[in-house]
Amino acid sequence: MRANQLANQSVQFRLLSQDQLEELCQAALRLLEYTGLDVHNEEARGLLSKEGAWVDGARVRLPSPMVMEALARAPRSFTVFSREGDPDKDLHIAPGRFYYGPGPSCSGFMDPRTGAVRRYTRADARAVATVCDALPSIDFVESLGSIGDIPYELADTYEFAEMIACTGKPIVAWSYAEAGCREIHRMALAVAGGEEAFLRRPNYVFYCEPLSPLISTTEAIDKVIYCARHRVPLIFTPCVIGGATGPATMAAVIAQAAAESWLGLVLGQLLRPGTPFCMGAVVLTMDMNQMVAAYGSPELSLLQAGLTELAHYVGLPVWTTGGCTDSKGVDEQAALEGALSVLFAGLSGGDLCHDVGYIESGTTGSLQQLVMMDEVISHVKRIIRGVEVTPETTAVEVIDRVGPGGNFLADDHTLSHFKDEFWFPKLMDRRRREGWEVAGKTRMVDRAQERLVEILDSHRPAPLTSAAQQNIAAILAEADARFEAGQS
Amino acid sequence: MATLDDLKQAIISGDREQAKEVTRKALGEGIAAKTIVVDGIAAAMEVVGEKFRANEFFVPELLIAQRAMKEALSLMSGESVDHIGTVVIGTVKGDLHDIGKNLVAAMLEGAGVKVVDLGVDVSPERFVAAAKDNSAGLIAMSALLTTTMGSMRDTVQALSDGGLRESVKVIIGGAPVTQSYADEIQAHGYAPDAASAVEKAKALLG
Repeated sequence: MRANQLANQSVQFRLLSQDQLEELCQAALRLLEYTGLDVHNEEARGLLSKEGAWVDGARVRLPSPMVMEALARAPRSFTVFSREGDPDKDLHIAPGRFYYGPGPSCSGFMDPRTGAVRRYTRADARAVATVCDALPSIDFVESLGSIGDIPYELADTYEFAEMIACTGKPIVAWSYAEAGCREIHRMALAVAGGEEAFLRRPNYVFYCEPLSPLISTTEAIDKVIYCARHRVPLIFTPCVIGGATGPATMAAVIAQAAAESWLGLVLGQLLRPGTPFCMGAVVLTMDMNQMVAAYGSPELSLLQAGLTELAHYVGLPVWTTGGCTDSKGVDEQAALEGALSVLFAGLSGGDLCHDVGYIESGTTGSLQQLVMMDEVISHVKRIIRGVEVTPETTAVEVIDRVGPGGNFLADDHTLSHFKDEFWFPKLMDRRRREGWEVAGKTRMVDRAQERLVEILDSHRPAPLTSAAQQNIAAILAEADARFEAGQS
Repeated sequence: MATLDDLKQAIISGDREQAKEVTRKALGEGIAAKTIVVDGIAAAMEVVGEKFRANEFFVPELLIAQRAMKEALSLMSGESVDHIGTVVIGTVKGDLHDIGKNLVAAMLEGAGVKVVDLGVDVSPERFVAAAKDNSAGLIAMSALLTTTMGSMRDTVQALSDGGLRESVKVIIGGAPVTQSYADEIQAHGYAPDAASAVEKAKALLG
């Protein structure tokens, strides 16, 4: 036993000091109080005004006490429950816990078998959910595409229906507007077993976005209002692109993103205090040559880490971005860029890191990238676990026993510890050259592709109950009717 | 000519005060507006475009050059300038993103095109009406959201319905937009970036 000892339970990572975080927090509060944002939603403006906001046309300014109160009300920790009742698949949002998942609504999709980039279909939504369900280091589910083989007005609702049937891991859902949001919620309730059951054990998270800079659109706020009223865990997160929709300096991007996100926080907490809320943003820079948001950039890693630290500083969980790339294929660039942002997401401990599997600056979704990143996440987690220092692990007696010129391979100590201390790769190859050649001279992307096909061909997610299936079918029929009515 | 070279340099370096000053001087000396546009402004934007393609200039430098160009052009709005055509441009209905669209609009202006910028959230009806009212030879549409792209198809349809299919061409662009989508909706052109958009637009205006 030791006196007065502190031990690092993991690698310790610190980007910003407490004073710097306080300054960023004040900058966000100042933006909200003195500049404000345009809220294109009459109901929201009315509510905010009644509760103390200054409203001038569309412009809403929030006095900082309103924001501080909302920050105090929103929980730091909450759980999103697997529909299977499997605690290993629950998301325990809490200090120190970090999770990974893919992203939504890419305009293209990399065919899981051929690698060709094409349009995304209903079948792909099922495939993506199935693969997420199978991958050990992927914790939540998003679609990696936009369903293109049905009217696009129905893509949001159908995507949720297809995915929830194919995975027991929580889905982070999105919709165009309130109609889809309602349909998705009803489906989630059907799976949970009713409203009461959902309130006790929420089974999904809803994600929506304001528009940078400093605009909250009608549809986005309609969805925030709906979700808050129904106590759906909510993520309200802008996409601030440094140099384009935010300033060209990192600190400003973080402050602006926080301000934009906190508008959703304040509104949500006013409507239903205690509604679980994740702040966040996709924060990155604009490539000044190609005019794309640079998903593979070092700035993305820095900005996400900075935003994560700010979120945790103010006591909120955070939605971040990683495992993505600007590369057009799943190649060396994709591996490097994806791995670096996965590493920083883990080091900074962002609660929910999404967009794993995004390639081509977020315009194409790739299950091959997702599978490769699943391996990277596992590798990174071993790094973050750090080094345990105890008498047992320092093992002075063991070294003494084995002595000069001995070896540790069959030692009891090795046998007790190696399976826990060492990380075992599944896709990263360590064979010697001859063995590797005999096994087919595969590259990493080949092995990821093989693993992907293996999952698609053999993984059987737990099915929904037939009651839930029937309910969902009925809700889809109503969605179809809504669409037909809209067409006429 | 010395003065026009000064104008060219002012625009290239994004110096809008200087651009305005030199244009004022040039007009004062009796140099025709058309000459100023061709030998001063268009020549400058040509160099800016080259530097951009060579990765010497980035989008911010492009934008300040365009800003300087606009200052120069604003002094000549009363003068007769031969435009090479008229383009109606906008971001489609339901979409508020406009950075790319603004870039294309400014570059078209620099290339001597008359640009009618309808802004954002533009319905098919507004595009067609503006094309008619301004005798435009080209409609240029931008979308950033996959969910709003469908409006481009509707605009092409509205042009057909209005009997304008032959006289008004359509060019489209934006992050989710592709050549194959342009083919699918029978647009006349697609461009992946502002520089090639201008080239395509000039070709379509004939």
